[in-house]
Order: sequence, then structure tokens, then C-alpha cells
Amino acid sequence: MCLLQKLSENYKRISIVGMAKNAGKTTALNYLIEEAMDEGLTLGVTSTGRDGEGTDIVTGTDKPRIFLDTDTIVSVPKQLYALADAGLEILRMTEYGTALGQLMLCRVADAGYVQVAGPVINAQHIQMCEEMLALGADLVLIDGAIDRKSIAAPDISDAIILSTGAVLSRKLNKVVEETAHTVELYSLPILEEGMERRIIEEHADSDRVFTVRDGEAVQLNITTGLGSGKLLDNAIDDKVTHVFVPGAFTQSVVADIDRRKLKTTTFVLRDPTKIFIDKATWGKMRKYGLRVEVLENITVAAITVNPTSPAGYSFDHGEMADAMQKAVPNIPVIDVMMG
Amino acid sequence: MAAECNTAVAQIDLTKVKPYGDTLNDGMTEVAFTLPVPYGDEANEAAKILAKKMGLDEPNVVYSKAMTKEYTFFVVYGKCQHTVDYTTIKVAKVDVDVMDRLECAEYIKENIKRPVVIVGASTGTDAHTVGIDAIMNMKGFHGHFGLERYEGIEAYNYGSQVPNEDLIAHAKELKADAILVSQTVTQKDIHIQNLTNMVELLEAEGMRDKVILVCGGPRISHELAQELGYDAGFGQHKYAEDVASFVLTEIVKRNMI
Repeated sequence: MCLLQKLSENYKRISIVGMAKNAGKTTALNYLIEEAMDEGLTLGVTSTGRDGEGTDIVTGTDKPRIFLDTDTIVSVPKQLYALADAGLEILRMTEYGTALGQLMLCRVADAGYVQVAGPVINAQHIQMCEEMLALGADLVLIDGAIDRKSIAAPDISDAIILSTGAVLSRKLNKVVEETAHTVELYSLPILEEGMERRIIEEHADSDRVFTVRDGEAVQLNITTGLGSGKLLDNAIDDKVTHVFVPGAFTQSVVADIDRRKLKTTTFVLRDPTKIFIDKATWGKMRKYGLRVEVLENITVAAITVNPTSPAGYSFDHGEMADAMQKAVPNIPVIDVMMG
Repeated sequence: MAAECNTAVAQIDLTKVKPYGDTLNDGMTEVAFTLPVPYGDEANEAAKILAKKMGLDEPNVVYSKAMTKEYTFFVVYGKCQHTVDYTTIKVAKVDVDVMDRLECAEYIKENIKRPVVIVGASTGTDAHTVGIDAIMNMKGFHGHFGLERYEGIEAYNYGSQVPNEDLIAHAKELKADAILVSQTVTQKDIHIQNLTNMVELLEAEGMRDKVILVCGGPRISHELAQELGYDAGFGQHKYAEDVASFVLTEIVKRNMI
């Protein structure tokens, strides 16, 4: 099956998001890069962290290197430029600074291994992806870092590839459950078109927490939803139907809200990357009646599984892919270590 | 007339560096360790064999002492057989001209022209304040005054075990220019998760591009900072002036004046 071709028909920017460190993000990236070579697609390749170095900086274990074909557009910071084994033509210096120096956009003139790094700020990623597309990339692949998921946000990525692996847990069913939970979060119901959505979209740019009360937006006097559970509880009465939280949706936002009020109110978020509630608490809050809807969702184009953990244990290849596929029947599951 | 020196002198070859003891390149190395074996001739032999496996030729146990009945402490000398190619080493460093405290004050007056707000804490489960205190507290560390003593900087140190959410809420309220996150003692790489959680929360709050985010601690390097999503990382032997110089320069660079 050629995954990449299907992706490139529908999307321009794809992020590879990891459930954890060592879940197999870079291996998934290499899989897609190989497919692109077969298909003759010109890729843009960048990273939210740093990729392609031989040894992991945290665990000291081996990491996959990244081999890029001629014409690939890639972002490389100054301090990693000399370490590339590929021939890189510098197209332009960017304004994005990283811990490893100013980023440069390069074209691969001579295929080979490259150490890739990208902006650490998502807002800069959006701009840089545009630049890469303008420079001739058919499709931009963004390799995630560690367990950072905010890159999945729909304003940055048109679709994501979710990488999961044995590193999450020694129990297969736990790995599958955690991953399926993330997929479930990424496909929360979207707030329907209508008066409420219109009101919320109109006021969303204010970046303030507000309620929709009697068909009108009422701003709360707080700078962030974080730790504001009690204030929110006070603000919610019978006439409040929706609460818009522009920022992070954590336990401290909802913990102090009366359960009866939870049942009558819908929380609206920009997108599912705003949710920072663990699986157990999420399940409990849902039972109490917590309802969350989003303005935009995240498209999970594929899930990759890596049955081997660097901690030295592994699952059976077929078994893991099958279990994952069963839990998320509508999304293709790929064992990247098999290919 | 100057006497000519005819003795053959070993040259320093930076592609094959090894330890210097009595003469160049003799590889002389001292190691100290404890083995869980009772003091005696067998213990000394064990230490010698181990040193040999470490790559130390002609190992010599110069000191050994019983720690308890079952443990023995050793000091071993030997000639290291390994070399390092110094010329290929590249270490990612914070690329900034370090200014001292008074120069920082001057820099703020001239270039930023308003007080710079910096919040910091040891976050998550970490109960150790030694790192954040060394950077922020007035008395500082090792003769380097902390940020609280810097003119033009308003430094807020929230101490230890501060949840990421709380630190972000403080930063938002104070409209902080920079957030300093310290991680001193952690287990099983929990500091990594805690540090990425901070970045993700800031992104979700829409604040990431409005603050300078810096992490520090003995296990933090500038290289790791990139992977974590921080603007800079400061490891050991870095002081308030290193952090301040970076933050101030970055404020100007990013046009956050």
C-alpha cells in the first residue's frame, strides 16, 4: 500500500506525532521518505526538535538517521550544517533562531544523511511550512519531538501520523488503550453550525474565557482558565449553555465545577491539542457529565506501531498491529519495523 | 649562543588526545571505586582486572581499604589505551556574549528601557531549589550574584514543586518576559516529561511565542533544550549572568521591547 500518495493528494502539511519518546516517529518519517523517493515526490522535511543524530541525547541508545534524496527541502540550524553528510545548498537564512543556531532552509544537492532541526515555537512552524511549500515542496513532513503533541493542532498540520510503540507500557492492551484514547480525543464532536458557534467564533480571538449565556457572550474577568475552576463554577448558571476556553484545558479548569452544572454546559475548545487531562480522569469526568466540543478536529491519517522498546522488551509484530487495528478500525495501522 | 635541544619530544596530536601524567601521551589515569568484596589480595586482583577491562594498561592498585566487612575501596593507576579525536568534537552552546551584572543593567537601560520580568521555579515533583536559587536569589552562588540583585530585572522565584500550570498562571499575570524552569534531581527521566508538558501548556495557552523559555539543571544541556522545545538550556557552571545575558539579548533580537 502506498500511504504517502494518498496523503499527498489530500494534505500539504503532515506531522508525525509521538505518543511517547522512542515510539518510532523517525522510523515512520524514514518510511514516508522512502515512499516519496519511489513516487518521485519532492518533500519538505523539518522537525519540532532535532532528528537524525546517531545517538539519543537522553537515553544514549541508537537513533535512526535520516537519509534525504536530492531536491528535498530541509531546515538545518547553523551548528548542525557541518555535520550533514549530504550536499546541502543553502537557499536562505531564516529569521527563526533555535538553541542550535539560526535555521537555514536548504535544498539537498547531493543525497545523503542530514541532521534536521526546526523552530521550537509552533507559530514559526506555520510560517516556515509556507516557505517550504513556496520553495517547491509537494508535501511538508514535520517530525515531532519526544511526546510533544501541540504540533498536531489543525492550524499547523493538515493531518497527523500518530506513532505509538511498546515504549508506552509493558502491557500490550495498555499501549492500545492509551493510543485509542488519544485518537478518541482527536475526533471529539465539532460544535455544530448555528447561533452558538457564530457567537463563539466571533469572540474567540479575544483569547479570554467566556460563557454563552442566553445567546450572548459574557467575558470572565480572568487571564487564563488555568486554576480558575471556582470562578468558572460561579459564572455558570441555568442560562449558560456553553463555556469557551481558549487555552489549555486541564484538571484545574474543571475540577471545582459542580457536577450538576457540568451536565448542563458544553465546554468548547479550539481543537483537541488543548486537552491536558489523563485518560482515567477524563473517563471519570465524562461519567460526571463533562461535555467537550471543538471548533476544529484533528485528522489522524495513519497510526504506526513500533513493537520494540529501548528498555529491552518487545511485542509480537502481527499481534500488536492487529490489536491496534481492532481498537481503531477506521484508521490504517502500519508496523514500520516490518516494512 | 642558545643550546640546541636534540631530545625527541612527543608532539601533541589533537586527533589522538590521551591523558597526560608524567610525560605527554603516557595515558596515566587515576580511578577510584568500591567493589562489594571483602578486603584482601583477591580484592586487589579484582580491582586490577576491572581496571584492565576499562582500558587501563599496567594497572596498579595504589590504595585499598575495607569500607565494611564486605566492601573494599580502591584507588588504581593505569595507562589509558584510548584516544579521543578532539578536532571533530562539536558542542552546542548558547551563542551569546556574556555581560556581567552591571553591563546587563546598562544594556536594559539602553536597549529595553523598561523593567524585565523573569519568573522561575523548580517545577513538577522536584523539591530541590538549589538550581533556581543559584540563578535567582540575591546572594547567588559561588560569588555570582543572582537575578534579584540585577538592576532593571524584576525576578520572581516561586520555589520548588510548583505545578507547570501555576507557574504559567503567574507568568501570564505578571506579563513575564522569560520563564526559567529548573530540574535538579529527578528519576527515570520524569524531568523530560515535565519539561515537555510545560512547553505544550504554553503552546495551548498561546503564550509560547510571547515568552523566552529557559531550562536549567545538572542534566540539562543546550542541545537537549532544542529537542524539548526550549529557547536555551543551561547546565553546570552557568550563573545568573549567563542566563540574564541570554534573556536580554533574546528580548532585543525578538523585538519584545
